[in-house]
Amino acid sequence: MKHSIVQTFLAGGASTVLHVLLFLLLIFSFDMPTEIRQFGQPEVEIVQATVMDEELVLEEMARLQEAEDSKRAAEEERQQKLDEQLEKSQQELARQEQELLDMQERAKLEAEKRKQEAEQEQQRLKQEAEKEQQRLKELEQQRVEQEEARKQAELERQKAEEAKQQAEAERKAAEEAKQKAEAERLAAEKAREEAEAKRKAEEEARRKAEEEAKRQAEEEAKRKAEEEAKRKAEEEAKRKAEEEAKRKAAEEAKRKAEEDARRQAEADLQRQLEAEQAEREGRRVRGVVDEYSQIIQQRVKRFWNKPANADRGLEVTLRIRTLPGGDVGEVTIVKSSGNAIFDRSAESAVYKSSPLPLPSDAKAAAEFKSFNFVFRPE
Amino acid sequence: MIKKWLLKLGFVLALLPLQAQALLTIEITGGSDAALPIAIVPFGSEGLKAPEDITKIIRNDLESSGRFAPLDEQDLVSRPSEQSQVNFADWRLLRSEGLVIGKISSQDGENFQVQFQLFDVYRGQQLAGKRYQVPASGLRALGHQIADLIYETLTGEKGIFSTRLAFVTQVTAGDGKKRFALQISDADGANPRTVLQSTQPIMSPAWAPDGNQLAYVSFENGKSEVYVQQLQSGQRKSVASFEGINSAPSWSPDGRKLALTLSRNGNPEVYVLELASGDLIRVTNNAQAIDTEAVWSPDSKDIYFTSDRGGRPQIYRVSANGGRAERVSFEGNYNASPDISPDGRKLTMVHGANGRFYIAVQDLKTGAMQVLTESGRAESPSFAPNGQMILYATEQKGSGVLAAVSVDGRIHQRLSESGIVVREPAWSPLKK
Repeated sequence: MKHSIVQTFLAGGASTVLHVLLFLLLIFSFDMPTEIRQFGQPEVEIVQATVMDEELVLEEMARLQEAEDSKRAAEEERQQKLDEQLEKSQQELARQEQELLDMQERAKLEAEKRKQEAEQEQQRLKQEAEKEQQRLKELEQQRVEQEEARKQAELERQKAEEAKQQAEAERKAAEEAKQKAEAERLAAEKAREEAEAKRKAEEEARRKAEEEAKRQAEEEAKRKAEEEAKRKAEEEAKRKAEEEAKRKAAEEAKRKAEEDARRQAEADLQRQLEAEQAEREGRRVRGVVDEYSQIIQQRVKRFWNKPANADRGLEVTLRIRTLPGGDVGEVTIVKSSGNAIFDRSAESAVYKSSPLPLPSDAKAAAEFKSFNFVFRPE
Repeated sequence: MIKKWLLKLGFVLALLPLQAQALLTIEITGGSDAALPIAIVPFGSEGLKAPEDITKIIRNDLESSGRFAPLDEQDLVSRPSEQSQVNFADWRLLRSEGLVIGKISSQDGENFQVQFQLFDVYRGQQLAGKRYQVPASGLRALGHQIADLIYETLTGEKGIFSTRLAFVTQVTAGDGKKRFALQISDADGANPRTVLQSTQPIMSPAWAPDGNQLAYVSFENGKSEVYVQQLQSGQRKSVASFEGINSAPSWSPDGRKLALTLSRNGNPEVYVLELASGDLIRVTNNAQAIDTEAVWSPDSKDIYFTSDRGGRPQIYRVSANGGRAERVSFEGNYNASPDISPDGRKLTMVHGANGRFYIAVQDLKTGAMQVLTESGRAESPSFAPNGQMILYATEQKGSGVLAAVSVDGRIHQRLSESGIVVREPAWSPLKK
């Protein structure tokens, strides 16, 4: 989890960088369109980010390229048309200038010719010419004046034409400037659009990257979840398998134990029967032993001349050996009372009780072969 | 393998409980309080016949103690007088725990050689045996001495058969006059001898701890006086003849002082008299009551006495140096004449009830009192020096007799024949 958080953070950091870069790109793209690439290029993260789905990016880029290409083509066409229009108008202008020149030439030649004619006429008509000249002069004057006026008009017309043309040129220039501005605007627009597209592309890429990252994270999470689930499932399976194995082992053990127990039970039963037999025998023997113990106790008690001044706390333990038939064979003091007279009284009591009544049953009688007496004053 | 082996072992062990168990143990409690059977074979006699039947003395002593049950003479299976003649199996058949045999011989009829042996019949061991040479006059005393030795060997307690009794007799002569005598006898009441005779009353004999002196009260001078008399020489001396009452002497354990009752200052009070100096210490001081019958505790620290300061006679205890007395007896409304056992644990006294008087013993530690006698005219109890018996005087058929009872009340003896009035007995200390 910690890893994915770092990754998310890194991705977030990367997207932030991307945003900043894009912002910078947008800013700089207006002022320094040529530097876009230089600025954008060195950033490796962007490239890496797009690499995540290169095909998509490439497609997008191709689409962008295509769009750009078609735009460029249209623009070029439009430019070409503009150029053609400009050339036509220029050609027209040149043709008009030529016409103007031709007219001027012709007018000159006409003037020349008329001058010569005039001179010839003048000479021939010098008298008349003179007179006529006068009149001609006047006429000429008049004509010149007219011509002049016509010329002036023509000039003015030309001038107007020129102005017109100038205006036209200016208009054209304006048009051109306008077109140029339009072109620039378009270029800017295009750049903006490109930037926008790029931004969008980048945004898209970033989004995609984010999505991808998210997706990957999700996938990772999912994968992890799946892995975890799988692991858990495996563990569960393993646990179940183990449990199963355990259960089986236990069952097997139980079965075996039961088998053993059954065998054991049979053996136990046998033993129990024997033990019960022994127990019954033991009980019987104990019963006889108890009975004879009491008989012996009464007898010894009767024969015990307890010292009159025996302190209450005195206690002596004697070990008795009996001979077959009950005669007291040996009496030894196992634990003295510390009072010789008390001890002796007890010993004497045992001896005086001889022969002790013993059971005829061999097993019970065996108990009395060697046994203890404990004597207490009360 | 090991498990199987263990199972087998367990199986084998399970079959062995009878053998493996601790030895059978039979507990014996209680036993018989009956007297100990003992065979006393008449001593073999060589030469001249002894004037005393020493065997009979021994036999009577042991029997009278209540502790021994001598076999009847006719039951004796044989009459050995030497160890070599003893067949223990014979005596075992008679269930006799002890066997006493002996010999007595004399060449001249004056001096006697006496030997005796005490055997443990069941172990076939000699428990005691001695040889003596005594004059004929000493045979009785020797008999008591042998009885003491047998008694002590078989019971663990000191025998008291060689001790003596002191008592006062009173006879009325043909002239109608009373005669009083202070007498001493053997512990069995036999062999009485008079140490003082008087036409005036004699009272309260008291043994000095050395057993050689008696203190007593004599009215021979018309008034009560306390005398101390040497028994062997007969010398005597009045030690207290103050104005008023001089009575109830009692020797201190060291024999240097007498506690006694004097009324020299008007009222009977207990005093301590130092014999050598004649100095008197007043122990009690109660003008409203009679304080008398003082007796010392064995450690000399306290004096027990009778006082009616509570209205009725009861036993009190006071420091031998005087001081505040504390009441000791509480049962009934009459307790008097105290004596303290040699071990200091028991108090014996006359206990009055319904106008009758009994000998009672009180455990000084627990305060438990037990009445020991049945006849209602007992007086003057006195502990035997082994603390096992209490000597007292009582009345039988109109005359006083000496009797003794064991401290547990089981054994009763009568020590003197009636015919004379016997009063105020005192048991002597053990012979030094």
